[in-house]
Amino acid sequence: MSTAVLAAPFQAVFDANSQEFSLAGVIRPRSVDEIAYSITEFRRAIDEARGVLYINVKRLAQMNNTAFHAFSRVVLDACRTRSDIRFVVVTSSVVGWTERMFRHLGKIEPQITVEVYDSKFYPGQSFVEDTSFIPILRAQTKMTWRHERTILPRHGMRPGIAMADICCGIGDFAVLAQKEFQPARIVALDHSKPSLAYARKVAAEFGVTGIEYTYGDASEMLLEDNQFDFVTCRHSLQIFNQPELLLKELYRIVKPGGRVYITNEKNSHCLGEPRAQSIQWTYNELARLLSHFEMDVELGPKSRRYLADAGFDDILVESFMITNLDGDPQDFADVIAGWEKMFAAMAARHGEAPEFIDRFRQGFRDHIFAALHPKGYAGWPIWAASGRKPL
Amino acid sequence: MNAAQRQPAEAKFEPLLQFEMEMGTFLSDWHHCDQLSNFMARMISHNRTDPVRHSNFFSSALNELLEVSFRGGSPEGRIGCSVFRQGPKERVELSFPCSPTQRRFFREAVARTHKGDAYARYLDAISTDLAPSREIVLLDLAINFDAEIRLEEDDPPSISIIVDLPLEGIVS
Ligand SMILES: C[S@@+](CC[C@H](N)C(=O)[O-])C[C@H]1O[C@@H](n2cnc3c(N)ncnc32)[C@H](O)[C@@H]1O
Repeated sequence: MSTAVLAAPFQAVFDANSQEFSLAGVIRPRSVDEIAYSITEFRRAIDEARGVLYINVKRLAQMNNTAFHAFSRVVLDACRTRSDIRFVVVTSSVVGWTERMFRHLGKIEPQITVEVYDSKFYPGQSFVEDTSFIPILRAQTKMTWRHERTILPRHGMRPGIAMADICCGIGDFAVLAQKEFQPARIVALDHSKPSLAYARKVAAEFGVTGIEYTYGDASEMLLEDNQFDFVTCRHSLQIFNQPELLLKELYRIVKPGGRVYITNEKNSHCLGEPRAQSIQWTYNELARLLSHFEMDVELGPKSRRYLADAGFDDILVESFMITNLDGDPQDFADVIAGWEKMFAAMAARHGEAPEFIDRFRQGFRDHIFAALHPKGYAGWPIWAASGRKPL
Repeated sequence: MNAAQRQPAEAKFEPLLQFEMEMGTFLSDWHHCDQLSNFMARMISHNRTDPVRHSNFFSSALNELLEVSFRGGSPEGRIGCSVFRQGPKERVELSFPCSPTQRRFFREAVARTHKGDAYARYLDAISTDLAPSREIVLLDLAINFDAEIRLEEDDPPSISIIVDLPLEGIVS
């Protein structure tokens, strides 16, 4: 076997601007010679670095002892000759063995520290990963499913496929998809441990087996390339400050010819009668408020552009409106009540005045009023879009 | 090879999966270690709490073991690998033919994983050895994967390395 074949599954890259040397992929050489080039690059990175060199192994899926030893030797030797430099090894909480393996380096040389990279991906994360969000997600999916079960087949959902639901939340979408469409495999990934624990509990209670719930970071997944026929990512691109990073990963894991399906909102288009003006004001303010947390809840109609920029073709976009007339209006009201609580907390965190928060809350209450009014109408529009990874 | 029959006292370890192949075939391509460890890891992890991460962790450990047999095994005979499960633990039983010198080496290396100075030895090996020895691989499994390792030698020239890995508890 040539070293070129072996070299393919991993990357070793030095970014001089951030003084960061990154190792990613699978590094399992038979001998050190096979990774000699990367080792040389690593030495060069150390020579160039001033102060701190970050060694990023967040995306290192596998590394054997041969490679670990070779890279470790370079850092340890550098510690002995360069007292002016510190090393920070950045591991991920997702890839369990990296933290366990690299932490020893800090025991050998005090110049080396090992950090576990976790959370703080985006400014609004603490709100989204809070457990109080669980009932809201649950009620939301109950309402969107009525529409999506007929929409999904148009976007590529069918029995027997391998699918992944990325940012799966509490996993009820995966359960519904499993029941309705019987895919051969479902992987459901999220970065909230409480949500995943809840998801596993619900699946067990319903006797649903076979959904692979996994803890992961959607922007750097352990999942291999070209694995899935259908990848869904619902209501989540809009909460990331860099949706294109996430799309890149979705693109990577879907098979050529397979499709990525995303749903997003345009919050300022939420509506209701009566009390339309108050409702409108609040949702306009909501979109503005969330932009301070770098969330773009106006993303829905931009789906086409995002998918095209990420390299997808055969793009389909459609929108649907969830309303108080879809089922029990109380479900609609419960979701809005959840939003009021969560978004009022975010407004307070952002330092909005109490008068603003009162008025802001009132719009949600008026939306609930419209939903429960015997002649009222309340709506929440959603954009569903998908694109195909070219063959 | 059937470890479950050979060890009636430990019948509670349920067999999950096994493979066997000619050692010569196994040794013909280094990538067999990577491919077999990924494949077996995927197969046995699907019903773990977090199948993706369990599989990644398990593949890491199994690959090291397969690499050990690749580097230390001799070409005549067969290599066999069985995976068993008991609660949160997986047991890997890896049998392969090797020379008497290798056998002695494995005996000592396995014994060292049980000694009180295992961690000190491991750190020392990382910081001073020029190349990783196969001994460090077994220490790595004991230290980073909380593995319990033992050796069976009742079927020469083959040896069996038996490794209990409590990965479910580490992963989830
Ligand atoms: C608005 S919720 C949508 C959840 C679900 N798709 C639904 O529609 O109910 C966004 C989800 O993204 C998850 N998430 C946030 N950051 C993540 C990351 N870096 N990797 C994976 N999931 C993440 C959150 O934990 C949360 O469950």
